[in-house]
Amino acid sequence: MAQKTKLIDVSKCTGCRGCQLACKQWNQQPAAQTENYGTYQNPPDLQSNTWTLIRFQEIADKDSVKWLFRKDGCMHCTDAACVKVCPSGALHYTEYGTVAINNERCIGCKECVSACPFDIPRYDRVTDKIYKCDLCLTRIQAALEPACVKACPTGALKFGDRADMLKLAYKRAAELGGNANVYGDKFVDGTHVLYVLQEKPSTYEKLPANPSVPLSIIAWKDLLKPLSLLAAGGVIAGSFLHYIIHGPKLPDEDQNHKGGE
Amino acid sequence: MRKGLIQATDAFERIVHWSLAISCLILCITGLGMMFQSFNFIGTIMGGLKSLKYVHNFTGLFFMATLYFTIRMWWKEAGVFSMPEDMEWMMCAGGYLWHVDKVPEVGKYNPGQKAFFLVVAGCGVMMAITGLIMWFPLSFPTELVRWMFVLHALGFVTIFAFFFVHLYLGTIGSPGSLDAMLSGWVTRAWLKKQHPKWLKEMEHEGKLVVYGEEKTSTGGHGH
Repeated sequence: MAQKTKLIDVSKCTGCRGCQLACKQWNQQPAAQTENYGTYQNPPDLQSNTWTLIRFQEIADKDSVKWLFRKDGCMHCTDAACVKVCPSGALHYTEYGTVAINNERCIGCKECVSACPFDIPRYDRVTDKIYKCDLCLTRIQAALEPACVKACPTGALKFGDRADMLKLAYKRAAELGGNANVYGDKFVDGTHVLYVLQEKPSTYEKLPANPSVPLSIIAWKDLLKPLSLLAAGGVIAGSFLHYIIHGPKLPDEDQNHKGGE
Repeated sequence: MRKGLIQATDAFERIVHWSLAISCLILCITGLGMMFQSFNFIGTIMGGLKSLKYVHNFTGLFFMATLYFTIRMWWKEAGVFSMPEDMEWMMCAGGYLWHVDKVPEVGKYNPGQKAFFLVVAGCGVMMAITGLIMWFPLSFPTELVRWMFVLHALGFVTIFAFFFVHLYLGTIGSPGSLDAMLSGWVTRAWLKKQHPKWLKEMEHEGKLVVYGEEKTSTGGHGH
């Protein structure tokens, strides 16, 4: 199956949040009562029922102010830390290269929350489960675009085969010039969500400049996990060899004892 | 009980030992069920992996309580090395690995047992702390939680391997040892071989409890 990718061109985003609403609507997620806390960003952060969010940022630029919008959500890594740590297989790769979640299998251990380099999965206390964007897996399977892409009125969101999206992204970045860059193909073996950013990645809030599967996760899952069985197997083999080569440690006068138990 | 057997452990010690052993084993098995997806089936008999998670977490609390009693009870006897005889014993590996004409005499616990006790105590405390933080990961900094998983796995590597060493040396690797943790009564011959110094000291102090003989005074740990 061809790898699918969502392209987010922030230069075309008007911050209308149609994608945010479409996501809620398609995935039947309720919205919570909100309050003004001095920014257009709402809700303040991703939530267990808010899987995508437009982040608003104001940046002073000499005499004027730059207004940045970034659609945040799961990046669908090729080498996904969340899939690596998930004990139950609830988080898994799909045939499109994206990362989906089977909530029936989720045990609410929250290991993915700690592991994710993008801080995406959110825990819901009521259901004791984790939630995040699955790039509308059921829609992709039905040959439809994800709900957010479908709703986007400006063409900031595009969806298609990975190779096409990469080509499109680099073409657009070259068009924009300046600091414009493509974000998402250079780390964690490439993500299935790409950004065309107008500013350097470090300019954007909550966007890691150089994300990676944390070293601790690699030490845990790739080193210590297999070592635990190897070490135990080695000890069992060693004990057996000890028994047949050196023999057990027997009391000296064992034979001299009377009494037949 | 046979006449002439000597009491090596009291009932409290044995209850604490088996409480720790069984809870540790349950933790290892349920932990494996979460560490390897191929062992997820272990959760099935508990009503699913989510139930297994709760079995693991709450057994952990029980483990912590027994670990406290274990350390308090055995620290004096098994937590402190007594030099130089412990060093001499270690230099010849207690006669376990190659032939040694005369193994240095050690007390109630040999340096191997002491090392085992210290590793179990140390790793146990580490598992308790890291486990508690992993239970409530959203209340701690992410970077800290990530390393807690590593330490928890490291503790498992150690404890799981040590479990099999303990199993071997407590049974067929050292016949007669198991009785010390089952009935608590061991043979004089076994004590002479394994813990001669303790036997001599106890005899000297008249504290030895021998089955069928009048006790002069009781041993025990004052708990």
